[in-house]
Amino acid sequence: MSQPTIKEVLLNPIFNNNPIGLQILGICSALAVTSNLKTAMVMSIALTLVTGFSNLFISMIRSQIPSSIRMIVQMVIIASLVIVVDQVLKAYAFSLSKQLSVFVGLIITNCIVMGRAEAFAMQNPPVLSFFDGIGNGLGYSVMLVMLGIVRELFGSGKLMGFEIIPVINDGGWYQPNGLLLLPPSAFFLIGLFIWALRSWKKEQLEQPSFKMAPQISNKEAY
Amino acid sequence: MGIREFLDKIEHNFEKGGKYEKWYALYEAVDTFLYRPGSVTKTTAHVRDGIDLKRMMIIVWLCTFPAMFFGMWNTGYQANLIFAGSPELLAAQGGWHFALISALAGFDPNSLWDNFIQGAAWFLPVYAVIFIVGGFWEVLFASIRKHEVNEGFFVTSVLFALILPPSIPLWQVALGISFGVVIGKEVFGGTGKNFLNPALTGRAFLFFAYPAQMSGDAVWTAVDGFAGATSLSLAAAGGIENVLSNGVTWLNAFLGTVHGSLGETSTLAIMIGGAVLLLTKIASWRIVAGVMLGMIGLSLLFNTLGSATNPMFAMPWYWHLVVGGFAFGMFFMATDPVSASMTNTGKWIFGALIGVMVVLIRVVNPAFPEGMMLAILFANLFAPLIDHFVVQANIKRRLARNV
Amino acid sequence: MSSQKESTARTLTVALLVCLVCSVFVAGAAVALKPIQVDNRLLDKQRSILAIAGLGDASMSSAQVKDMFKGTITAKLVDLQSGKFSDAKDPVTFDPLKAAKDPKLSSVLPGEQDIASIKRLERYTTVYVVEKDGQTDTVILPIRGYGLWSTLYGFIALKGDLNTVVGMGFYQHAETPGLGGEVDNPKWKGQWPGKTLFDQDGKLAVAVVKGGVDPQSPKAEHQVDALAGATLTSKGVDNLLKFWLGQNGFGPFIANLRAGEA
Repeated sequence: MSQPTIKEVLLNPIFNNNPIGLQILGICSALAVTSNLKTAMVMSIALTLVTGFSNLFISMIRSQIPSSIRMIVQMVIIASLVIVVDQVLKAYAFSLSKQLSVFVGLIITNCIVMGRAEAFAMQNPPVLSFFDGIGNGLGYSVMLVMLGIVRELFGSGKLMGFEIIPVINDGGWYQPNGLLLLPPSAFFLIGLFIWALRSWKKEQLEQPSFKMAPQISNKEAY
Repeated sequence: MGIREFLDKIEHNFEKGGKYEKWYALYEAVDTFLYRPGSVTKTTAHVRDGIDLKRMMIIVWLCTFPAMFFGMWNTGYQANLIFAGSPELLAAQGGWHFALISALAGFDPNSLWDNFIQGAAWFLPVYAVIFIVGGFWEVLFASIRKHEVNEGFFVTSVLFALILPPSIPLWQVALGISFGVVIGKEVFGGTGKNFLNPALTGRAFLFFAYPAQMSGDAVWTAVDGFAGATSLSLAAAGGIENVLSNGVTWLNAFLGTVHGSLGETSTLAIMIGGAVLLLTKIASWRIVAGVMLGMIGLSLLFNTLGSATNPMFAMPWYWHLVVGGFAFGMFFMATDPVSASMTNTGKWIFGALIGVMVVLIRVVNPAFPEGMMLAILFANLFAPLIDHFVVQANIKRRLARNV
Repeated sequence: MSSQKESTARTLTVALLVCLVCSVFVAGAAVALKPIQVDNRLLDKQRSILAIAGLGDASMSSAQVKDMFKGTITAKLVDLQSGKFSDAKDPVTFDPLKAAKDPKLSSVLPGEQDIASIKRLERYTTVYVVEKDGQTDTVILPIRGYGLWSTLYGFIALKGDLNTVVGMGFYQHAETPGLGGEVDNPKWKGQWPGKTLFDQDGKLAVAVVKGGVDPQSPKAEHQVDALAGATLTSKGVDNLLKFWLGQNGFGPFIANLRAGEA
């Protein structure tokens, strides 16, 4: 296997191998925190940093980690980073951390972080791993920010808390779409994004699991 | 046969390699709408039923007519009743609906014509928007995927129109049908592959997106500036006595002369269409019976349990039958052959699940007064699972017999 | 080499070292940031109290908030049973919500009294008083109760006559966004200032009414429109106000304070 370059590991996850779009990882938090752009962005930054640094640290000690406890060691490192991020948010962005509530803590269980640690950082040198983590974080961020924009703009007529489309309740004309404020809407939106992404990059299409056979006989089936 | 010849003459343009190859779906739709199709269905979308999918859908469509025409009359009747009661509201109305109605008819609740025109002025634009917008998506997907436009859309469109409130803004109608057709059906591969009822999917989208107008809490009328409570929210607030004291008798609710969605009010009109569906075996009687049994069973259980704080516990089953969208959902939505269970035993379970869920949501859930839509969608999700277990049980039984 | 890496001693050493480094790291961060976090929590509460009392505005810096709070508002402890001020606890550090969970400082509410569905009521609670020229100018009372999905926590601010509302608002809830969540809508909250709680006979008359307030009605000065499409949240707000301002809540305290006996 040839060594990937920094540029590759940094940019590939954004569209070619998007953690949400292609690998379908990290959906849970993508549903929960994207009802407005601000929380989506903070979550993105937090996750990107955690993935980058956990990859860096794990890669640094990768030759020292005994394989029998490697998962636990990865977990400990990721968990420590997440707690630190959570503490920093509580100290410097209190109102945002209140809105994000448990979801910063739940980065620990985000499959992207663990997945990159296990799949990439255990085999690759630290700097490359770091950028791989950042790249995957960016892939996640792109998806979250798009979700955040659509949901906040059409769900409450605002972006980053600033009014863009005046809504009826405040005397405007736009009737906000309440579904977009509920987490399931992100599920539909992710589906639509994946659809768009795969129409654009055909190589991401999966093989159909079966094909409907044409009807051979001339009669109706009974 | 001028039209036939014309169609035959232009047909080569639409075939593979022709000038308008992309529009084949549209050509095919026009052709087979006017004439009996020359070929039978190529895939096995309706493998479980012997009758042609196209004819079947058209029968369902015709069966909605009693409910549809009654709905139009009733929408007008309810609106005109309000006007008769408080003439000052009539003066306050505006908009193109009223310009149109005033040009064609008056506002007398005793006149069949006036009521009908009033209702039609509300219903037809809604239906037209559904047809145009939904049809656009159908043709688009059919063109891209190179399959024929399916008559299933006739049914989806009329069912969707009938479960909407008359006063719904037309742009919401367009959004709802788009969501229903695209997300509810086309993303899964089109008719026959959808696991949710597309009309209900669109309705559910509107329900959650614009809950303030759609939750089934306040009354739906064509009259601007009139607010009231639906039978179900009256019952939730104070039991059946509260409904009766607001002037709605059981017979009213059964005949359908109450406020409500366009085609859901009259249990009688729905039953007429439903009976035809059952007789032609298009709708499965097992599903209908299952829904009835589940609903009656759980409401009887709630009646005996009783509750001091929740008057809905005491609501008898024959009231559950006539209020809200129960009857319409039972005959037209639950029996959708694509999204319901396929096995005979499965149909019983599927129906009973709907019946139980609808009573459960109406009685126990404080947030939603009406539960038929959610109950059917919920059961749709379970249909494949129910079938799976029925089939497995059957295999096990037959294996055991042969050992 | 790999056999050496997999040995038990090696495994233990690595595990121990990783844990040690991580725990130092985490503990360091937690300790270093603790004071800022505590400060933040306090500031958040003070900000919401000031907003509900109609003092200052949202763009104030944290230092301004603290100054204003310190300068104008005094926290006082109230004994809900006797309806009088008390000095059994320190009102600044006392946490009524924590006390409501403590069997020693609270009691179970019997079902028929518990219209706000809060289950336990604390004996003491903290109220905030604004005094101007020796006179009570504003009293801010904590309120809470169950809506549709969640308990709403908030404050209601009353004028010195203990009848006119200065403001009402919730700082924490989890109602449906767009429906019950509209309790946070400034337009809805804007209906509250100026409403009066009690009618001429001194009976509690404040209510959240469905279907819109009739401005002609004599009761209009006590009533506020319900939230559109959010029957149960509106009912919850109505219930929690009736509870907290009634006999089991702040009723005795309000009566005492009016009579100057609190």
